[in-house]
Amino acid sequence: MSEPLLRARDLTKRFTVRGPFGRKEEFTAVDAVSLEVRLGETLAVVGESGSGKSTTARMVAKLMEPTAGTLEFEGRDVTRAKGADLAGFRGNVQVVFQDPFSSLNPRHTVERILTAPLVYQGMEPKGGKRALAKELMVRVGLNPDHSQRYPAQFSGGQAQRIGIARALAVNPKLVICDEAVSALDVSVQAQVIELLRRLQRESGFSYVFIAHDLAVVRQIAHRVAVMSKGRIVEEGPCERVFADPQDPYTRTLLAAIPRINPEWDRRRRAAG
Amino acid sequence: MSELLVVEDLTVTFPTTRGLVDVVKDVSFTVGRDETVGIVGESGSGKSMTSLAIMGLLPRGAVTRGSIRLNGVELLGRTDRQMRAIRGEQASMIFQDPLSSLNPYYTVGLQIEEMYRAHRGGSRKAAGKVVAEALAQVGIPEPDRRAGYYPHQFSGGQRQRIMIAMALVCSPALLIADEPTTALDVTVQAQILRLLAGLQKETGTGMVFVTHDLAVISSIAARVLVMCQGEQVEYGTAEQVFSEPRHEYTRMLLESIPRIDDEVVS
Repeated sequence: MSEPLLRARDLTKRFTVRGPFGRKEEFTAVDAVSLEVRLGETLAVVGESGSGKSTTARMVAKLMEPTAGTLEFEGRDVTRAKGADLAGFRGNVQVVFQDPFSSLNPRHTVERILTAPLVYQGMEPKGGKRALAKELMVRVGLNPDHSQRYPAQFSGGQAQRIGIARALAVNPKLVICDEAVSALDVSVQAQVIELLRRLQRESGFSYVFIAHDLAVVRQIAHRVAVMSKGRIVEEGPCERVFADPQDPYTRTLLAAIPRINPEWDRRRRAAG
Repeated sequence: MSELLVVEDLTVTFPTTRGLVDVVKDVSFTVGRDETVGIVGESGSGKSMTSLAIMGLLPRGAVTRGSIRLNGVELLGRTDRQMRAIRGEQASMIFQDPLSSLNPYYTVGLQIEEMYRAHRGGSRKAAGKVVAEALAQVGIPEPDRRAGYYPHQFSGGQRQRIMIAMALVCSPALLIADEPTTALDVTVQAQILRLLAGLQKETGTGMVFVTHDLAVISSIAARVLVMCQGEQVEYGTAEQVFSEPRHEYTRMLLESIPRIDDEVVS
């Protein structure tokens, strides 16, 4: 097996919270979480609220410093990376957030939004910014003629496509999706999942896919890590975790998912 | 089955800068006693506007046409005062976000008591007993003591239980649940759905369950109304809508849902 693209070892995040009477209390949001992501693979991290999945994502994306543990990217320790090292990391690892509108500057045109990561990297796109913005828009299925529009002129699904296009601007090796399809309507969600899968097929990068919805995870992940109370309780290939969950918490989680009567589904599909 | 709620040709219109916009167009459905009817649709489908219209809670400026009859009594055209007497007593509503529906400055017991005494009067002492019973009914442990807690002292699932207790404290004939489990974790959602189904069986309340989630609808509603851009595109038994949808939109919606049990083609 080749060296993993990203390796997190015992990532831990503790927060100090002030209890009653100003007493300080420590709260461990993420407790010694270890993960590996290989190039071209999708690792999903699933869990309910408070499980620590988003804190894990933030540490892996280097948006938050871990209290303990290490993060390696392509074999290099980036746990405390600053300056040029951090910029290099950002050139390889990008994030797509849950709410497209709050993560896109409402006063910037799509072109400016899409080329911002390159400006940060100090790179000048070969064919010029406009050409790059248009190319990215085509890749995510947006009309390139709309590159001078503002985020508010797009629907939620389109705005999320802009967020995805921005992540792709620097040709990253890893894209971290933090509940990237959770806020979308189900029909739009299906299209965005399909887009994410197509982009991975085309470009061969990896995803860390943070989600609470196991049914969505099933559509996109190669491997799944289930988190509960700051720890990974189960990890394995997607098919195995869903078909044969080992941990009692995973079983509870899977059993709680509302399902459509499979007989109704079968009859509808049979009728065409 | 005697009909509890009859909605006929309901149209809700809003004046906008671009003229009048119908956000709900000619929607008709009925809810029997003991029955759960699901309204499902994506954002902007008009599902929430339909439920707000029933409760007389539409934003200012909205114009309604058609008819909404609860126990044979017309609700459209009522004054705010008349609707206040109906809300809570005959028809109650629970929302997606219990935290924003509860007052953070008052104990939950006081808030449920206020609801009860506004309609039924009586002493605070008598109401206290009703409050404890209501909390016990929705599965809050140690209801006497917990009635003295503030909303922030409960988890999200417990807060939704408290909202349900408040909504049902006057034993209304109709409960409208607007995305009541959307903000909850999936395991908590399963508990709340079980609670609602159980309470309905126990009390015989008719329920309108509004959601964007087809799988949730299929697990709780006997009949389903599918809405799209203000229009009613499909209405029938859950089995009929899910197994032989007549409308292309319903079919597309059903195909879009990620299935947990399906084979994934990669």
